[in-house]
Amino acid sequence: MGSVSLPHPSLSPVKSISSQITSTEVVVIGAGLAGLAAAVRLAMFGKKVILLEKHYVVGGLNSFYARKGRKFDVGLHALTNYPSPSSGKSSPLLKLCRQLRIPIDELKLLPQSHSRITFGEQSLRFNNDFQYFLSQVEEAFPSSIDAFLKLLKMMEQFPAYSVDAEELSTRSILRDSGIDPLLGEMLLCPTCYYGSARPDDIDFPTFIMLFDAIFKQGLSRPEDGIRAILNPLTAKLKELGVDRRMNSAVRSIQTKGDKAKEVILESGETIKAEKIISTCGIRETESLLQENCIEPNEAQTGQFSIIESIRVFKGHPKDLSWDETVIFFNRSNRFVYDCPKGLVDLESGVICMPDNYGTNHQTEESKLRVTHPANFHRWSQLSEAQYLKEKNYWEKTMLDNALSYLPGGLEKRELLHQRTELLDTFTPKTIKRFTSHINGTLYGSPTKKRDGSTKYKNLYLAGTDQGYVGIVGAMLGGIAVANNQILRAG
Amino acid sequence: MDKDKVKQIVLDIIAEIAPDEDLNDVKSDIRLRDQLDLDSMDFLDIVMELRKQHGIDVPEPEYRELESLDSCANYLLPKFEAGAAA
Repeated sequence: MGSVSLPHPSLSPVKSISSQITSTEVVVIGAGLAGLAAAVRLAMFGKKVILLEKHYVVGGLNSFYARKGRKFDVGLHALTNYPSPSSGKSSPLLKLCRQLRIPIDELKLLPQSHSRITFGEQSLRFNNDFQYFLSQVEEAFPSSIDAFLKLLKMMEQFPAYSVDAEELSTRSILRDSGIDPLLGEMLLCPTCYYGSARPDDIDFPTFIMLFDAIFKQGLSRPEDGIRAILNPLTAKLKELGVDRRMNSAVRSIQTKGDKAKEVILESGETIKAEKIISTCGIRETESLLQENCIEPNEAQTGQFSIIESIRVFKGHPKDLSWDETVIFFNRSNRFVYDCPKGLVDLESGVICMPDNYGTNHQTEESKLRVTHPANFHRWSQLSEAQYLKEKNYWEKTMLDNALSYLPGGLEKRELLHQRTELLDTFTPKTIKRFTSHINGTLYGSPTKKRDGSTKYKNLYLAGTDQGYVGIVGAMLGGIAVANNQILRAG
Repeated sequence: MDKDKVKQIVLDIIAEIAPDEDLNDVKSDIRLRDQLDLDSMDFLDIVMELRKQHGIDVPEPEYRELESLDSCANYLLPKFEAGAAA
């Protein structure tokens, strides 16, 4: 992916000040999942919306690309919140489909087979039946089960989904809960990877939301990947007459007093808007405002990013006796979730075999995806030649390292290599290109603003820095801002 | 326009918003929330659809007037009639 080169915004031609002026009711900045969902909701109820996207594809972090005739998803390992029989109608995914008027059947969700968290010698398996996970915890940590059940009760009672939920440290809550420290570390691993912007911790409300989303509800994947979500959204935008503009970067947001007045594009065009929703992040929005603080407290800059390598191989993972969907692994008993000092941290990571969603095992070829924490600055400092060299090195190293976490993986190395059709990798630089997040962060700033409000009356944040993470969270966040900040007001 | 027509309009809107709900046996005098899986987001949609389809405005403090089909009929009928007369 590193070979895709885009014109740098600052190099695009700057038109004269006599450039076009457009007016609209709402400008939405960013066509990621939050921006798409917000734009659909607003347009459904007659708002005139312009949706701006800097990149040439929609989806933001959850986008897609093609390589040698094959389709790849950028972010999607799993769609969480699967409405499994045990979670029933409470899944936010159902609420989301209702709000966007997309029948859930259209997504053609394929549930996971089963997944695993492995720390050293200890493993916990889970599937889309929460009782199975409970039995796994009881088997692996018999002396912790009472404390664990007590913790679950406490999590149920905590107002995690409220906009003013207190952002306590999950690490300290787990430490005080009386569960085995290793169990605590193992719970942190999937929840951090699927949505923590905080270094080496996750705020408690987000932990609860992700715990529910991953374990109580469950994992699935649309048969056609992220396109199954993006395509109906873009079709709706078209049908509703939303002016969607790709390759349209915002240069600045102009304000007057306590109101945002207009958005100026890199092309020089001015768009006057009654309301603006920015999904590009809190710090990124501040830079468009040329301000340091749009919040009572100064926002922190996020640091966490990842590298992901993908091996496309002939046949199905089951041919190699690999039937798991996602594997969260950590070499030792202590989980470290942070921006590594080097280019890549091999200590922990995530393996995903998307072909183990659903029950069709007749695929001609399959993917093995391996993800590790990576350092954006280190990757950005490399020359083009060094970048390619490092990318090739880490691609092989990561994919081989992952084999030690797969059943009989090391013995199957040669066989897997023979079957390999293609290797591909995306780095923190790629994530930056898709998301425009400072530092190529996966989950934005550790500072979140759940209700989306800013010090400007008509400027709202949505998406990553609202603090509702994942595909489902991002869309629900965008919907919540559209509903509560704009539609309710009339 | 009469109360039964208003109830039907509300049911039609719910059918659109929540196609997965079974609306065959909805009781008029029981809160919609207690017999269907509807939350505050769905009620906002009922309000938004009333405005979009019928030009009827329900101010936020009055959302609770929509809690059952009977209360919807009582509350919305004058609004429909006022709309028709205008």
